[in-house]
Amino acid sequence: MKSNKLPLIIILIAVALGSIMFFSTKDKSSTASEPAEVIKVGMSGSYKPYTYLDEKGELTGFDVDVWKEIGKRTGHEIEFVTSDFSGLFGMLDSAKLDTIANQITVTPEREQKYLFTRPYVYYGAQLISKDDRNDIVDLESLKGKKVAVGLGTNYETIIRDFDKNSEIEIITYDSGSGSYQDVAIGRVDAAMNDRLALQSVINESGLPLKLAGPPINEMQNAFPFLNNEENKELVAQIDSAIDSMYEDGTIKEISMKYFDMDITEKVLN
Amino acid sequence: MNFDFNILVKALVELLSALPITLSVGLLAMLIGLGFGIFIGIVRYFKLPGIDLILRGYVSFFRGTPLMIQLFLFFFGLPQLFPSLGNIGAFEASVLIMSINSAAYIAETTRAAILSVDKLQQDAGLSVGLTLWQTMLYVQLPQALRVAIPSFGNTFIGIIQGTALTFMLGLNDLMGLGKMKAAVNYKFFEIYLAVGLIYWAITLIIGQTNKYLESYYSKGRMA
Repeated sequence: MKSNKLPLIIILIAVALGSIMFFSTKDKSSTASEPAEVIKVGMSGSYKPYTYLDEKGELTGFDVDVWKEIGKRTGHEIEFVTSDFSGLFGMLDSAKLDTIANQITVTPEREQKYLFTRPYVYYGAQLISKDDRNDIVDLESLKGKKVAVGLGTNYETIIRDFDKNSEIEIITYDSGSGSYQDVAIGRVDAAMNDRLALQSVINESGLPLKLAGPPINEMQNAFPFLNNEENKELVAQIDSAIDSMYEDGTIKEISMKYFDMDITEKVLN
Repeated sequence: MNFDFNILVKALVELLSALPITLSVGLLAMLIGLGFGIFIGIVRYFKLPGIDLILRGYVSFFRGTPLMIQLFLFFFGLPQLFPSLGNIGAFEASVLIMSINSAAYIAETTRAAILSVDKLQQDAGLSVGLTLWQTMLYVQLPQALRVAIPSFGNTFIGIIQGTALTFMLGLNDLMGLGKMKAAVNYKFFEIYLAVGLIYWAITLIIGQTNKYLESYYSKGRMA
């Protein structure tokens, strides 16, 4: 009979474990709910050089340094939470995070839902062409030419919105790298992406490319918070901390450390 | 060739630090799932009116929707409706949802396994004066579980691999650490290969354990 009792024992242990788990989680919910002085900052931990793990496995990067500095200046304790990007906004909405530091671009749709801090990174859509051509300077100059963009990206929307009469041939790509190759070969006349990304492509790929004309527009990245009274005060505190980082040049220093350029200044004036 | 063997080895070692999370979520979910799943399987075998309909709905939903959706709905969706649920941590939530998910599979396996035991066994149990419940516990279930063990092993393997989704909830498990490591040096192939090898190794261990359990419970029985 001995072996016959084993399944029963397993069931009992498992049910016991299950109930312990269940009650222990209930316990927590009654105690650890008060909004503390801790700010929980969510990030993917996999977006170099904004947020990534260094050789020792420590979280580091531009966004991490910015938040450490904000913590110092506001007196709040900063807790970094790493999660897959796909989960970050869900965690923000269910208040498991206070904010997200993952280069979140401010858009009208997001502004309706979230309270944003002041921007801390500016970037813009930029055209790129082969380095020996001078005919690509702005959206107007794309008419009658072929331009490569990532499928479903902001950049595709920008061009389609401008190109009401379908005078530009838009070619959509799944990934950036293929399109840059095609610009260099001459298969397409230009490509559009964000200025920062393109600058590093030019620096690192060795392809004969150049930034064509000035940035097309300006986009701003900031930190989203849930829109409620409590957060309004917190966001004001954080804004003045970021302001002071601009004033004494700290934020520029952090930018230079990771990018060798200042990504915190406006692109268009 | 662009493959860096040293990075693979280094990643294998470094990734082990995330193993406790993956294993504890997987083991807890399996144990709790076994408890509830076997119980639900038995209840469903008896086809209690009303209750059976509810259980059927439960099993159907949790087998019929992706684990990813279940994690999202529970961890992000429910707290917006019931704020008190918002304080459940990523670990507890992962274990809870994966337990409920695996219990659905285990319940079906158990029910099918009980059905595979000859109905005469039940008659025999009742005829010697055992109650219906005693007959289930001492006569039918032990024979059924022997049949079910291979499937339980499969379910456990599924759970372990399901834990790869928990990085979405902010749990820095094996997959999550792998993603973060790969993002640093762009050695996606080496690092994901290392991640895969570790999952494979866990699966091999589960397979061996299962083999042992199968032969243990087949004692005294002619194949």
